[in-house]
Amino acid sequence: MTERTVDRRNFLRASLGAAGGMAAFAAAVSPLKDFDTSDLTLEGFLQKHYKEMTPEDKEQALERIRKEVEERYAVRPELRDLPPIDGVEFGYALNLGRCIGCRRCVHACVEENNQSRDPEIQYIRVLELPRGSIDVERSDHHYDDREVPNPDSFYMPVQCHQCANPPCVKVCPVEATWREADGVVVVDYDWCIGCRYCAAACPYFARRFNYAEPEIPKERLNPNMNYLSNRPRKKGVMEKCHFCLQRTRAGRMPACLEVCPVGARQFGNLLDPESNVSQILKTKQIFVLKQEAGTLPRFFYYFD
Amino acid sequence: MQSASSSKVGAAAWLVGPAFFGLAAWLWFGGGGVEIPRRPDVPVDLRRLSTAPRRVTIGDPPTIRINNYERHCNDCHQVFEISEEQRANRMQHQHVELQHGINVQCRHCHDARDMNGLLLRDETHIAFAEVDRLCAQCHPKVHEDWVLGIHGRINGHWDPAQGEVRKLGCIECHDPHRPRTPAMDRLAPLPGPHTLRMGEPAVHGELHHPEERDPLRRAAQGLGASKAEEHR
Repeated sequence: MTERTVDRRNFLRASLGAAGGMAAFAAAVSPLKDFDTSDLTLEGFLQKHYKEMTPEDKEQALERIRKEVEERYAVRPELRDLPPIDGVEFGYALNLGRCIGCRRCVHACVEENNQSRDPEIQYIRVLELPRGSIDVERSDHHYDDREVPNPDSFYMPVQCHQCANPPCVKVCPVEATWREADGVVVVDYDWCIGCRYCAAACPYFARRFNYAEPEIPKERLNPNMNYLSNRPRKKGVMEKCHFCLQRTRAGRMPACLEVCPVGARQFGNLLDPESNVSQILKTKQIFVLKQEAGTLPRFFYYFD
Repeated sequence: MQSASSSKVGAAAWLVGPAFFGLAAWLWFGGGGVEIPRRPDVPVDLRRLSTAPRRVTIGDPPTIRINNYERHCNDCHQVFEISEEQRANRMQHQHVELQHGINVQCRHCHDARDMNGLLLRDETHIAFAEVDRLCAQCHPKVHEDWVLGIHGRINGHWDPAQGEVRKLGCIECHDPHRPRTPAMDRLAPLPGPHTLRMGEPAVHGELHHPEERDPLRRAAQGLGASKAEEHR
């Protein structure tokens, strides 16, 4: 056993190493100094997964979000957490023979669901297809006619299909997205880590990612909010169409449907055999997009 | 041999520090980050997102105001006889242009004896609110769909237990005097997508390739604003 002595050389070597190491560590974590912590509260950070929250936890989370929204947008939101209704599974049917491609649904959705205006986020994508074909590879969503419909085209709005077998839910590594009892696939924006696997898995191009901090003009914020649907999102989280849960779980029609000038959109309860969507499934020729993907959508297209 | 390889590892370990420094310096100067392209918001005029029916009906019985008095159809029509021969040179209702198949005279739908309502083929007088019964005489299939709630728009609620199901009537969309084929007038579309994921609009003669219209790819490659961006 040799006795360890602190001589000048060893001391300098050790302290230089330690100082260098600390400097390197400080430099490596330095990007964190630009990290905006203004909207990061301990309460929000420690919040549990939606499904593990007790009613008290939920009320606490709702109150925290109400405060955050009020601080940022100067509007006290009507924020709720509406549960699925018993015996209800939502279904959507869209008449392709009627749609004229006017994009009213796209923008009514943006206004209703508090999507970012800069950078722009839209849930509904209206495809223009050559008449007589249903080849989405040849579709265009940038059509810019002075008036629609173009007689040589037909139009196919695509949004989240609320699949009964959703690929996006399967790939989420943190279970931040799941299918609710009423058939709607939702996202817990506080649990999402922003890996974007779900966007890659979705065969319908239905998921949208907040690449930057969303910007919504204060006067355009919709104060009727729901936890799992249209409350304001943050940078780095995924979002998508949720059939306007803040409306539909209160018995109302989705915003995209109410604005449709040609009545091409129909919405209702699939479990009620007398409902309009059930009648469409019974009496019309319907199809689902990319049936071969096996996703079992709750969004149906039909002609009549 | 053993000591030689462990001294090699020792020498390599000295490279970890500088590598760490290098990484730190790269991150310090914003390495790897992409500036997300932003553009000014162009809000859509909310009047273009109206959920009101496309046609305004004037009540049942139809009501108009003349000099602060509310008037119904019969207020005039009980006094003045309708003459079908004079339909071509009317003094009133000149905006009505009747082009609806075999219905070529007012009395084919309106009740000439009680103009506050309509007349079915079996001579039943009905109110304007029941106009769908009149339409159903010639359009039974469409009417069947409408009754089931699968033709035309429903505003308000899908669940009657929670609020009003406001099913739009026939003449809130279709002009009964001159129905169009196709039924709806052409509309100017609202602006197309200009999103990070869906890309920028095409400008004629420029940026045909979808990759060139991807704002994130442009930012990552350090390319400037596209023609579409400058165009705005």
